[in-house]
Amino acid sequence: MIIFEHVSFTYGSSPVIGDVSFQVNKGDFAAVIGENGAGKSTLSKLCNGLLKPSAGRVTVNGNDTRTTRTSSLAKLIGFLFQNPDRQICQNTIRGEIMFGLECVLDDVDLRQERCEDMIRQFGLDGNADPFTLSRGDRQRVTLASVLACRPEVLILDEPTTGLDYSECTHIMKLIRELNENGTTIIMVTHDMELVQDYAKRVLVVSGGKLLGDGDTAAMMTHLDMLAAASVAPAQIPALALRLGEHFKNIFTVTQMVERIESRCKR
Amino acid sequence: MIVINDLTFKYKGSHRSALKNINLRINKGDFVGIIGSSGAGKSTLTYTLNGIVPHHFTGDFYGSVIVNDVDTIEVHPEQLSSFIGSVFQDIDGQMVASVVEDELLFGLENFGIPREEIETRVNEALDTIGITGLRYRSIHTLSGGQKQKVAIAAIVALRPSVLLLDEPTGELDPQSSMQIFQMLRTLNKDYGMTIIVVEQKIMLLCEYVNRLVVMHDGEILHQGPVRQVLQNSTDLEQIGVNVPRIVTLANLLINKGLYHEELPLNLDEAEKMVNEVLKYDHI
Repeated sequence: MIIFEHVSFTYGSSPVIGDVSFQVNKGDFAAVIGENGAGKSTLSKLCNGLLKPSAGRVTVNGNDTRTTRTSSLAKLIGFLFQNPDRQICQNTIRGEIMFGLECVLDDVDLRQERCEDMIRQFGLDGNADPFTLSRGDRQRVTLASVLACRPEVLILDEPTTGLDYSECTHIMKLIRELNENGTTIIMVTHDMELVQDYAKRVLVVSGGKLLGDGDTAAMMTHLDMLAAASVAPAQIPALALRLGEHFKNIFTVTQMVERIESRCKR
Repeated sequence: MIVINDLTFKYKGSHRSALKNINLRINKGDFVGIIGSSGAGKSTLTYTLNGIVPHHFTGDFYGSVIVNDVDTIEVHPEQLSSFIGSVFQDIDGQMVASVVEDELLFGLENFGIPREEIETRVNEALDTIGITGLRYRSIHTLSGGQKQKVAIAAIVALRPSVLLLDEPTGELDPQSSMQIFQMLRTLNKDYGMTIIVVEQKIMLLCEYVNRLVVMHDGEILHQGPVRQVLQNSTDLEQIGVNVPRIVTLANLLINKGLYHEELPLNLDEAEKMVNEVLKYDHI
Protein backbone atom coordinates (compact mmCIF):
# COMPACT_ATOMS: atom_id res chain seq x y z
CA MET A 1 0.00 0.00 0.00
CA ILE A 2 2.84 2.45 0.91
CA ILE A 3 6.06 1.58 -0.88
CA PHE A 4 9.43 3.26 -0.33
CA GLU A 5 11.93 2.53 -3.12
CA HIS A 6 15.51 3.72 -2.49
CA VAL A 7 14.22 6.90 -0.88
CA SER A 8 16.58 9.67 0.20
CA PHE A 9 15.68 13.04 1.63
CA THR A 10 17.77 16.13 2.28
CA TYR A 11 16.84 19.26 4.23
CA GLY A 12 18.92 21.96 2.45
CA SER A 13 22.35 20.37 2.37
CA SER A 14 21.78 18.01 5.32
CA PRO A 15 20.90 14.44 4.34
CA VAL A 16 18.27 13.01 6.71
CA ILE A 17 17.11 9.83 4.98
CA GLY A 18 19.48 7.76 2.85
CA ASP A 19 18.44 5.03 0.41
CA VAL A 20 15.58 3.56 2.43
CA SER A 21 13.32 0.84 0.98
CA PHE A 22 10.36 -0.86 2.67
CA GLN A 23 6.67 -1.55 2.21
CA VAL A 24 3.75 -1.02 4.59
CA ASN A 25 0.81 -3.30 3.82
CA LYS A 26 -2.89 -2.83 4.47
CA GLY A 27 -3.72 -3.71 8.08
CA ASP A 28 -0.13 -3.36 9.35
CA PHE A 29 0.52 -1.88 12.78
CA ALA A 30 4.10 -0.74 12.32
CA ALA A 31 6.17 1.08 14.94
CA VAL A 32 9.04 3.28 13.75
CA ILE A 33 11.67 3.57 16.47
CA GLY A 34 15.01 5.35 16.79
CA GLU A 35 16.80 8.19 18.58
CA ASN A 36 15.95 11.92 18.32
CA GLY A 37 17.09 13.11 14.91
CA ALA A 38 17.20 9.58 13.41
CA GLY A 39 14.78 10.59 10.67
CA LYS A 40 11.59 8.99 12.04
CA SER A 41 9.37 12.05 11.68
CA THR A 42 10.83 12.80 8.25
CA LEU A 43 10.05 9.22 7.21
CA SER A 44 6.45 9.57 8.38
CA LYS A 45 6.02 12.87 6.51
CA LEU A 46 7.37 11.23 3.35
CA CYS A 47 4.52 8.69 3.64
CA ASN A 48 1.77 11.25 3.19
CA GLY A 49 3.48 13.62 0.75
CA LEU A 50 4.08 16.40 3.30
CA LEU A 51 7.69 15.90 2.20
CA LYS A 52 8.72 14.69 -1.27
CA PRO A 53 11.76 12.43 -1.69
CA SER A 54 14.97 14.04 -2.93
CA ALA A 55 15.74 10.71 -4.64
CA GLY A 56 13.88 7.44 -5.08
CA ARG A 57 10.12 7.00 -5.00
CA VAL A 58 7.27 6.78 -2.49
CA THR A 59 3.97 5.40 -3.77
CA VAL A 60 0.65 5.27 -1.90
CA ASN A 61 -1.84 2.84 -3.46
CA GLY A 62 0.23 3.11 -6.63
CA ASN A 63 0.24 6.94 -6.66
CA ASP A 64 3.67 8.59 -6.70
CA THR A 65 3.73 11.20 -3.88
CA ARG A 66 5.83 13.54 -6.05
CA THR A 67 3.09 13.85 -8.65
CA THR A 68 0.01 13.43 -6.44
CA ARG A 69 -1.48 16.42 -4.65
CA THR A 70 -0.85 16.27 -0.90
CA SER A 71 -4.55 17.13 -0.37
CA SER A 72 -5.53 13.94 -2.27
CA LEU A 73 -3.14 11.87 -0.15
CA ALA A 74 -4.60 13.48 2.99
CA LYS A 75 -7.92 11.79 2.20
CA LEU A 76 -6.18 8.42 2.42
CA ILE A 77 -3.66 9.11 5.16
CA GLY A 78 -4.45 10.80 8.48
CA PHE A 79 -1.58 12.34 10.44
CA LEU A 80 -1.55 12.89 14.19
CA PHE A 81 1.20 15.29 15.25
CA GLN A 82 3.21 14.79 18.43
CA ASN A 83 2.04 18.03 19.99
CA PRO A 84 -1.75 18.54 19.76
CA ASP A 85 -1.25 22.30 20.20
CA ARG A 86 0.46 22.41 16.80
CA GLN A 87 -2.57 20.72 15.22
CA ILE A 88 -5.56 22.39 16.92
CA CYS A 89 -6.56 25.58 15.13
CA GLN A 90 -10.21 26.16 16.10
CA ASN A 91 -11.87 27.51 19.24
CA THR A 92 -14.39 24.73 19.67
CA ILE A 93 -14.08 20.98 19.48
CA ARG A 94 -16.90 20.84 16.93
CA GLY A 95 -15.12 23.47 14.81
CA GLU A 96 -11.87 21.51 15.06
CA ILE A 97 -13.45 18.27 13.85
CA MET A 98 -15.35 20.06 11.08
CA PHE A 99 -12.15 21.78 9.89
CA GLY A 100 -10.66 18.56 8.53
CA LEU A 101 -13.98 17.28 7.22
CA GLU A 102 -14.52 20.47 5.20
CA CYS A 103 -11.25 19.75 3.42
CA VAL A 104 -12.15 16.20 2.41
CA LEU A 105 -15.96 16.02 2.15
CA ASP A 106 -18.28 18.07 -0.07
CA ASP A 107 -21.54 16.72 1.40
CA VAL A 108 -22.49 19.14 4.22
CA ASP A 109 -24.97 16.76 5.89
CA LEU A 110 -22.46 13.91 5.85
CA ARG A 111 -19.83 16.19 7.42
CA GLN A 112 -22.15 17.09 10.27
CA GLU A 113 -23.16 13.48 10.76
CA ARG A 114 -19.52 12.37 10.95
CA CYS A 115 -18.62 15.24 13.29
CA GLU A 116 -21.42 14.48 15.74
CA ASP A 117 -20.58 10.78 15.51
CA MET A 118 -16.98 11.50 16.61
CA ILE A 119 -18.11 13.82 19.42
CA ARG A 120 -20.35 11.02 20.69
CA GLN A 121 -17.78 8.23 20.29
CA PHE A 122 -15.06 10.19 22.10
CA GLY A 123 -17.43 11.55 24.76
CA LEU A 124 -16.47 15.16 23.97
CA ASP A 125 -18.31 18.43 24.56
CA GLY A 126 -18.57 19.89 21.05
CA ASN A 127 -18.88 23.46 22.31
CA ALA A 128 -15.87 23.30 24.63
CA ASP A 129 -12.68 25.19 23.84
CA PRO A 130 -10.01 22.53 23.18
CA PHE A 131 -7.30 24.73 24.72
CA THR A 132 -8.96 24.48 28.14
CA LEU A 133 -8.58 20.67 28.16
CA SER A 134 -5.78 18.51 29.58
CA ARG A 135 -3.00 17.41 27.23
CA GLY A 136 -4.54 13.92 27.00
CA ASP A 137 -7.96 15.31 26.13
CA ARG A 138 -6.45 17.66 23.53
CA GLN A 139 -4.72 14.64 22.00
CA ARG A 140 -8.09 12.86 21.90
CA VAL A 141 -9.62 15.88 20.11
CA THR A 142 -6.92 15.77 17.43
CA LEU A 143 -7.38 12.01 17.07
CA ALA A 144 -11.17 12.47 16.71
CA SER A 145 -10.55 15.18 14.07
CA VAL A 146 -8.26 12.90 12.07
CA LEU A 147 -10.54 9.85 12.39
CA ALA A 148 -13.63 11.81 11.31
CA CYS A 149 -12.07 11.83 7.83
CA ARG A 150 -11.89 8.00 7.95
CA PRO A 151 -8.35 7.59 6.64
CA GLU A 152 -7.16 4.18 5.42
CA VAL A 153 -3.80 4.83 7.04
CA LEU A 154 -3.15 6.61 10.31
CA ILE A 155 0.31 8.00 11.04
CA LEU A 156 0.97 8.79 14.69
CA ASP A 157 4.06 10.85 15.58
CA GLU A 158 4.79 9.96 19.22
CA PRO A 159 1.09 9.91 20.12
CA THR A 160 1.61 9.41 23.86
CA THR A 161 4.21 12.12 24.59
CA GLY A 162 3.11 14.16 27.60
CA LEU A 163 0.31 11.76 28.48
CA ASP A 164 0.05 9.89 31.74
CA TYR A 165 -0.31 6.11 31.74
CA SER A 166 -4.14 6.11 31.91
CA GLU A 167 -4.44 8.61 29.04
CA CYS A 168 -1.84 6.67 27.09
CA THR A 169 -3.69 3.37 27.58
CA HIS A 170 -7.00 4.97 26.60
CA ILE A 171 -5.62 6.44 23.35
CA MET A 172 -3.74 3.24 22.46
CA LYS A 173 -6.80 1.04 22.97
CA LEU A 174 -8.70 3.25 20.53
CA ILE A 175 -5.87 2.93 18.04
CA ARG A 176 -5.75 -0.86 18.45
CA GLU A 177 -9.49 -1.06 17.76
CA LEU A 178 -9.02 0.97 14.59
CA ASN A 179 -6.28 -1.40 13.48
CA GLU A 180 -8.46 -4.44 14.22
CA ASN A 181 -11.12 -2.85 12.01
CA GLY A 182 -8.68 -2.54 9.11
CA THR A 183 -6.94 0.84 9.52
CA THR A 184 -3.22 0.66 8.79
CA ILE A 185 -1.20 2.23 11.61
CA ILE A 186 2.30 3.69 11.44
CA MET A 187 3.43 4.86 14.89
CA VAL A 188 6.63 6.79 15.59
CA THR A 189 7.74 6.26 19.19
CA HIS A 190 10.64 5.82 21.61
CA ASP A 191 8.65 3.70 24.01
CA MET A 192 9.44 0.01 23.59
CA GLU A 193 6.82 -1.08 26.14
CA LEU A 194 4.21 0.66 23.98
CA VAL A 195 5.65 -1.08 20.93
CA GLN A 196 5.59 -4.43 22.70
CA ASP A 197 1.98 -3.99 23.82
CA TYR A 198 0.47 -2.73 20.57
CA ALA A 199 2.62 -2.92 17.42
CA LYS A 200 2.84 -5.98 15.18
CA ARG A 201 5.93 -4.87 13.31
CA VAL A 202 8.95 -2.70 14.09
CA LEU A 203 11.10 -0.57 11.79
CA VAL A 204 14.36 0.56 13.43
CA VAL A 205 15.76 3.81 12.05
CA SER A 206 19.18 5.25 12.86
CA GLY A 207 21.13 7.98 11.11
CA GLY A 208 18.54 8.11 8.33
CA LYS A 209 18.98 4.40 7.49
CA LEU A 210 16.71 1.46 8.10
CA LEU A 211 18.67 -0.72 10.56
CA GLY A 212 16.02 -3.41 10.92
CA ASP A 213 12.49 -4.44 9.99
CA GLY A 214 10.68 -7.40 11.52
CA ASP A 215 7.84 -8.62 13.70
CA THR A 216 7.70 -7.13 17.17
CA ALA A 217 8.62 -10.24 19.13
CA ALA A 218 11.71 -10.86 17.03
CA MET A 219 12.86 -7.24 17.17
CA MET A 220 12.58 -7.17 20.98
CA THR A 221 15.49 -9.61 21.16
CA HIS A 222 17.86 -7.57 18.96
CA LEU A 223 19.37 -5.67 21.87
CA ASP A 224 22.45 -4.58 19.88
CA MET A 225 20.26 -3.07 17.20
CA LEU A 226 18.07 -1.31 19.76
CA ALA A 227 21.18 0.04 21.49
CA ALA A 228 22.54 1.28 18.15
CA ALA A 229 19.29 3.18 17.71
CA SER A 230 19.50 4.52 21.31
CA VAL A 231 16.26 2.78 22.24
CA ALA A 232 15.83 1.33 25.72
CA PRO A 233 14.60 -2.29 25.39
CA ALA A 234 11.33 -3.31 27.05
CA GLN A 235 12.21 -4.58 30.53
CA ILE A 236 10.73 -8.08 30.59
CA PRO A 237 12.05 -9.30 27.19
CA ALA A 238 15.45 -7.76 28.07
CA LEU A 239 15.42 -9.57 31.43
CA ALA A 240 14.40 -12.83 29.72
CA LEU A 241 17.37 -12.57 27.36
CA ARG A 242 19.73 -12.13 30.30
CA LEU A 243 18.25 -15.19 32.01
CA GLY A 244 19.16 -17.48 29.11
CA GLU A 245 17.50 -20.14 27.01
CA HIS A 246 15.03 -21.34 29.67
CA PHE A 247 13.39 -17.91 29.41
CA LYS A 248 13.01 -17.81 25.63
CA ASN A 249 9.90 -16.10 24.23
CA ILE A 250 8.98 -14.38 27.48
CA PHE A 251 7.54 -10.92 26.85
CA THR A 252 5.07 -10.17 29.67
CA VAL A 253 5.13 -10.10 33.47
CA THR A 254 2.55 -12.93 33.60
CA GLN A 255 4.64 -15.14 31.30
CA MET A 256 7.73 -14.39 33.39
CA VAL A 257 6.03 -15.32 36.67
CA GLU A 258 4.69 -18.57 35.16
CA ARG A 259 8.13 -19.50 33.83
CA ILE A 260 9.82 -18.72 37.15
CA GLU A 261 7.22 -20.84 38.99
CA SER A 262 7.63 -23.73 36.59
CA ARG A 263 11.43 -23.56 36.97
CA CYS A 264 11.00 -23.52 40.78
CA LYS A 265 8.77 -26.63 40.67
CA ARG A 266 11.08 -28.77 38.56
CA MET B 1 14.91 22.74 53.49
CA ILE B 2 11.28 22.81 52.33
CA VAL B 3 8.38 22.36 54.71
CA ILE B 4 4.77 22.32 53.52
CA ASN B 5 2.13 22.34 56.24
CA ASP B 6 -1.58 21.60 55.70
CA LEU B 7 -1.57 23.19 52.25
CA THR B 8 -4.85 23.44 50.35
CA PHE B 9 -5.14 25.50 47.18
CA LYS B 10 -7.99 26.22 44.80
CA TYR B 11 -7.35 28.19 41.59
CA LYS B 12 -9.44 31.34 41.25
CA GLY B 13 -12.66 30.49 39.43
CA SER B 14 -12.25 26.73 39.93
CA HIS B 15 -14.77 24.65 41.87
CA ARG B 16 -12.32 22.04 43.07
CA SER B 17 -9.14 22.21 45.09
CA ALA B 18 -5.99 21.50 43.04
CA LEU B 19 -4.14 20.64 46.25
CA LYS B 20 -5.71 19.19 49.39
CA ASN B 21 -4.15 19.09 52.82
CA ILE B 22 -0.56 18.60 51.64
CA ASN B 23 2.11 17.92 54.24
CA LEU B 24 5.61 17.42 52.90
CA ARG B 25 9.17 17.89 54.09
CA ILE B 26 12.10 17.92 51.67
CA ASN B 27 15.58 18.03 53.17
CA LYS B 28 18.61 19.77 51.77
CA GLY B 29 20.32 17.48 49.27
CA ASP B 30 17.24 15.35 48.58
CA PHE B 31 16.56 14.17 45.01
CA VAL B 32 12.78 13.87 44.89
CA GLY B 33 10.57 12.54 42.11
CA ILE B 34 6.91 13.57 41.92
CA ILE B 35 4.64 11.19 40.04
CA GLY B 36 0.90 10.82 39.46
CA SER B 37 -1.67 11.04 36.70
CA SER B 38 -2.55 14.22 34.76
CA GLY B 39 -4.50 16.67 36.91
CA ALA B 40 -3.19 15.10 40.14
CA GLY B 41 -1.69 18.44 41.22
CA LYS B 42 2.01 17.76 40.48
CA SER B 43 2.71 20.98 38.60
CA THR B 44 0.60 23.02 41.05
CA LEU B 45 2.70 21.63 43.89
CA THR B 46 5.87 22.86 42.17
CA TYR B 47 4.22 26.27 41.58
CA THR B 48 3.71 26.62 45.33
CA LEU B 49 7.46 26.14 45.86
CA ASN B 50 8.60 28.86 43.45
CA GLY B 51 5.79 31.23 44.44
CA ILE B 52 3.95 31.17 41.09
CA VAL B 53 1.07 29.99 43.30
CA PRO B 54 -0.37 32.11 44.87
CA HIS B 55 1.40 35.22 43.46
CA HIS B 56 0.85 34.68 39.72
CA PHE B 57 -1.90 32.06 39.70
CA THR B 58 -4.09 33.37 42.47
CA GLY B 59 -6.80 31.55 44.40
CA ASP B 60 -7.74 30.31 47.85
CA PHE B 61 -4.51 29.38 49.63
CA TYR B 62 -4.54 27.76 53.07
CA GLY B 63 -1.58 26.43 55.05
CA SER B 64 2.07 27.35 54.54
CA VAL B 65 5.03 26.65 52.27
CA ILE B 66 8.41 27.43 53.80
CA VAL B 67 11.49 27.28 51.56
CA ASN B 68 14.89 27.91 53.15
CA ASP B 69 13.10 29.55 56.10
CA VAL B 70 11.15 31.90 53.83
CA ASP B 71 7.34 31.76 53.75
CA THR B 72 6.51 31.84 50.03
CA ILE B 73 3.32 33.81 50.59
CA GLU B 74 5.29 36.70 52.08
CA VAL B 75 7.82 37.22 49.28
CA HIS B 76 7.57 37.68 45.53
CA PRO B 77 8.56 34.89 43.12
CA GLU B 78 11.50 37.05 41.92
CA GLN B 79 13.01 36.83 45.43
CA LEU B 80 12.34 33.11 45.64
CA SER B 81 14.00 32.58 42.26
CA SER B 82 17.33 33.60 43.77
CA PHE B 83 17.45 30.21 45.49
CA ILE B 84 14.85 28.13 43.62
CA GLY B 85 15.53 27.58 39.92
CA SER B 86 12.67 26.33 37.74
CA VAL B 87 12.82 24.49 34.42
CA PHE B 88 9.42 24.33 32.77
CA GLN B 89 7.75 21.62 30.72
CA ASP B 90 7.86 23.56 27.43
CA ILE B 91 11.57 24.16 26.70
CA ASP B 92 10.89 26.48 23.77
CA GLY B 93 8.58 28.54 25.99
CA GLN B 94 11.43 29.06 28.46
CA MET B 95 14.06 30.22 25.96
CA VAL B 96 14.37 33.99 25.57
CA ALA B 97 17.55 34.32 23.51
CA SER B 98 18.62 33.07 20.11
CA VAL B 99 22.19 32.09 21.07
CA VAL B 100 23.17 29.76 23.95
CA GLU B 101 25.55 32.24 25.63
CA ASP B 102 22.86 34.97 25.60
CA GLU B 103 20.38 32.58 27.21
CA LEU B 104 22.75 32.21 30.18
CA LEU B 105 23.57 35.92 30.27
CA PHE B 106 19.89 36.89 30.40
CA GLY B 107 19.33 35.47 33.87
CA LEU B 108 22.70 36.57 35.25
CA GLU B 109 22.26 40.18 34.10
CA ASN B 110 18.69 40.31 35.39
CA PHE B 111 19.88 39.12 38.78
CA GLY B 112 22.44 41.91 38.82
CA ILE B 113 25.44 39.60 39.05
CA PRO B 114 28.62 41.75 38.92
CA ARG B 115 30.12 41.93 35.43
CA GLU B 116 33.47 40.44 36.57
CA GLU B 117 31.69 37.38 37.99
CA ILE B 118 29.47 36.72 34.98
CA GLU B 119 32.17 35.12 32.81
CA THR B 120 33.11 32.70 35.62
CA ARG B 121 29.46 31.75 36.16
CA VAL B 122 28.83 31.15 32.41
CA ASN B 123 31.97 29.02 32.07
CA GLU B 124 31.16 27.06 35.21
CA ALA B 125 27.52 26.38 34.25
CA LEU B 126 28.40 25.31 30.69
CA ASP B 127 31.15 23.06 32.03
CA THR B 128 28.95 21.52 34.75
CA ILE B 129 26.25 20.65 32.24
CA GLY B 130 28.82 19.54 29.64
CA ILE B 131 27.80 21.93 26.86
CA THR B 132 30.83 24.24 26.62
CA GLY B 133 30.99 23.38 22.92
CA LEU B 134 27.50 24.79 22.36
CA ARG B 135 28.26 28.26 23.78
CA TYR B 136 28.00 30.18 20.50
CA ARG B 137 25.39 27.97 18.78
CA SER B 138 22.01 29.29 17.64
CA ILE B 139 19.38 27.72 19.87
CA HIS B 140 17.12 26.85 16.95
CA THR B 141 19.81 24.52 15.56
CA LEU B 142 19.95 22.44 18.76
CA SER B 143 18.24 19.09 19.39
CA GLY B 144 15.56 18.78 22.08
CA GLY B 145 18.09 17.25 24.50
CA GLN B 146 20.63 20.01 23.88
CA LYS B 147 17.96 22.71 24.38
CA GLN B 148 16.94 21.10 27.66
CA LYS B 149 20.59 21.18 28.80
CA VAL B 150 20.83 24.87 27.87
CA ALA B 151 17.66 25.63 29.88
CA ILE B 152 19.16 23.82 32.89
CA ALA B 153 22.58 25.50 32.44
CA ALA B 154 20.89 28.94 32.42
CA ILE B 155 19.34 28.11 35.79
CA VAL B 156 22.47 26.46 37.21
CA ALA B 157 24.43 29.67 36.41
CA LEU B 158 22.24 31.41 38.99
CA ARG B 159 23.47 28.90 41.62
CA PRO B 160 20.10 28.05 43.16
CA SER B 161 20.08 25.70 46.14
CA VAL B 162 16.90 24.02 44.86
CA LEU B 163 16.20 22.99 41.26
CA LEU B 164 12.60 22.30 40.19
CA LEU B 165 11.96 20.54 36.89
CA ASP B 166 8.56 19.81 35.35
CA GLU B 167 8.79 16.83 32.97
CA PRO B 168 12.26 17.73 31.69
CA THR B 169 12.51 14.72 29.37
CA GLY B 170 8.99 14.86 27.92
CA GLU B 171 10.06 15.03 24.29
CA LEU B 172 13.47 13.40 24.56
CA ASP B 173 14.59 9.93 23.46
CA PRO B 174 15.81 7.42 26.09
CA GLN B 175 19.49 8.26 25.55
CA SER B 176 18.98 12.03 25.94
CA SER B 177 16.62 11.48 28.89
CA MET B 178 19.26 9.42 30.67
CA GLN B 179 21.89 12.09 30.02
CA ILE B 180 19.63 14.71 31.63
CA PHE B 181 19.15 12.53 34.71
CA GLN B 182 22.88 11.76 34.95
CA MET B 183 23.50 15.49 34.89
CA LEU B 184 20.89 16.03 37.61
CA ARG B 185 22.60 13.34 39.68
CA THR B 186 25.90 15.25 39.36
CA LEU B 187 24.23 18.50 40.46
CA ASN B 188 22.70 16.65 43.40
CA LYS B 189 25.70 14.61 44.54
CA ASP B 190 28.65 16.86 43.65
CA TYR B 191 27.09 20.28 44.19
CA GLY B 192 24.60 19.40 46.95
CA MET B 193 21.68 20.85 45.01
CA THR B 194 18.22 19.77 46.16
CA ILE B 195 16.40 18.45 43.09
CA ILE B 196 12.65 18.09 42.70
CA VAL B 197 11.48 16.62 39.42
CA VAL B 198 7.99 15.89 38.06
CA GLU B 199 8.29 13.03 35.58
CA GLN B 200 6.14 10.52 33.68
CA LYS B 201 9.06 8.20 32.85
CA ILE B 202 8.88 6.28 36.09
CA MET B 203 11.46 3.63 35.15
CA LEU B 204 14.07 6.31 34.59
CA LEU B 205 13.04 8.32 37.64
CA CYS B 206 13.27 5.35 40.00
CA GLU B 207 16.89 4.73 39.06
CA TYR B 208 17.98 8.24 40.04
CA VAL B 209 15.85 9.76 42.81
CA ASN B 210 16.07 8.82 46.50
CA ARG B 211 12.48 9.75 47.38
CA LEU B 212 9.16 9.50 45.58
CA VAL B 213 6.00 11.53 46.15
CA VAL B 214 2.85 10.04 44.59
CA MET B 215 -0.01 12.45 43.99
CA HIS B 216 -3.60 11.69 43.15
CA ASP B 217 -6.53 14.08 42.89
CA GLY B 218 -4.71 16.89 44.71
CA GLU B 219 -3.48 14.73 47.58
CA ILE B 220 -0.24 12.98 48.46
CA LEU B 221 -1.08 9.29 48.34
CA HIS B 222 2.36 7.91 49.18
CA GLN B 223 5.75 9.41 49.95
CA GLY B 224 9.05 7.93 51.05
CA PRO B 225 12.13 6.10 49.79
CA VAL B 226 11.68 4.77 46.24
CA ARG B 227 11.53 1.05 47.03
CA GLN B 228 9.13 1.61 49.90
CA VAL B 229 6.70 3.58 47.72
CA LEU B 230 6.93 1.04 44.89
CA GLN B 231 5.77 -1.73 47.21
CA ASN B 232 2.30 -0.29 46.58
CA SER B 233 2.39 -1.15 42.87
CA THR B 234 -1.28 -2.28 42.76
CA ASP B 235 -2.39 1.07 44.24
CA LEU B 236 -0.15 2.96 41.86
CA GLU B 237 -1.41 1.09 38.80
CA GLN B 238 -5.00 1.79 39.87
CA ILE B 239 -4.39 5.54 39.84
CA GLY B 240 -2.76 5.37 36.44
CA VAL B 241 0.95 5.29 37.32
CA ASN B 242 3.06 3.23 34.94
CA VAL B 243 4.94 1.07 37.44
CA PRO B 244 8.19 -0.42 36.01
CA ARG B 245 7.42 -3.98 34.94
CA ILE B 246 10.33 -5.46 36.87
CA VAL B 247 8.78 -3.92 40.02
CA THR B 248 5.37 -5.44 39.21
CA LEU B 249 7.17 -8.76 38.67
CA ALA B 250 8.99 -8.46 42.01
CA ASN B 251 5.78 -7.61 43.90
CA LEU B 252 4.05 -10.66 42.37
CA LEU B 253 6.96 -12.90 43.40
CA ILE B 254 6.83 -11.41 46.91
CA ASN B 255 3.05 -12.03 47.12
CA LYS B 256 3.61 -15.64 46.08
CA GLY B 257 6.21 -16.03 48.84
CA LEU B 258 8.99 -16.66 46.32
CA TYR B 259 11.03 -13.52 46.99
CA HIS B 260 11.77 -11.69 50.23
CA GLU B 261 14.48 -9.14 49.43
CA GLU B 262 14.33 -5.52 48.28
CA LEU B 263 12.63 -4.44 45.04
CA PRO B 264 14.82 -4.24 41.93
CA LEU B 265 15.10 -0.84 40.23
CA ASN B 266 17.10 -1.86 37.16
CA LEU B 267 17.79 -4.91 35.00
CA ASP B 268 20.94 -5.92 36.90
CA GLU B 269 18.96 -6.05 40.14
CA ALA B 270 16.04 -7.84 38.44
CA GLU B 271 18.38 -10.51 37.05
CA LYS B 272 19.87 -11.00 40.51
CA MET B 273 16.35 -11.29 41.96
CA VAL B 274 15.26 -14.03 39.55
CA ASN B 275 18.48 -15.96 40.03
CA GLU B 276 17.97 -15.68 43.78
CA VAL B 277 14.42 -17.09 43.47
CA LEU B 278 15.59 -19.94 41.24
CA LYS B 279 18.37 -20.91 43.70
CA TYR B 280 15.91 -22.32 46.21
CA ASP B 281 13.56 -25.27 46.00
CA HIS B 282 10.23 -23.70 46.93
CA ILE B 283 8.24 -26.90 47.05
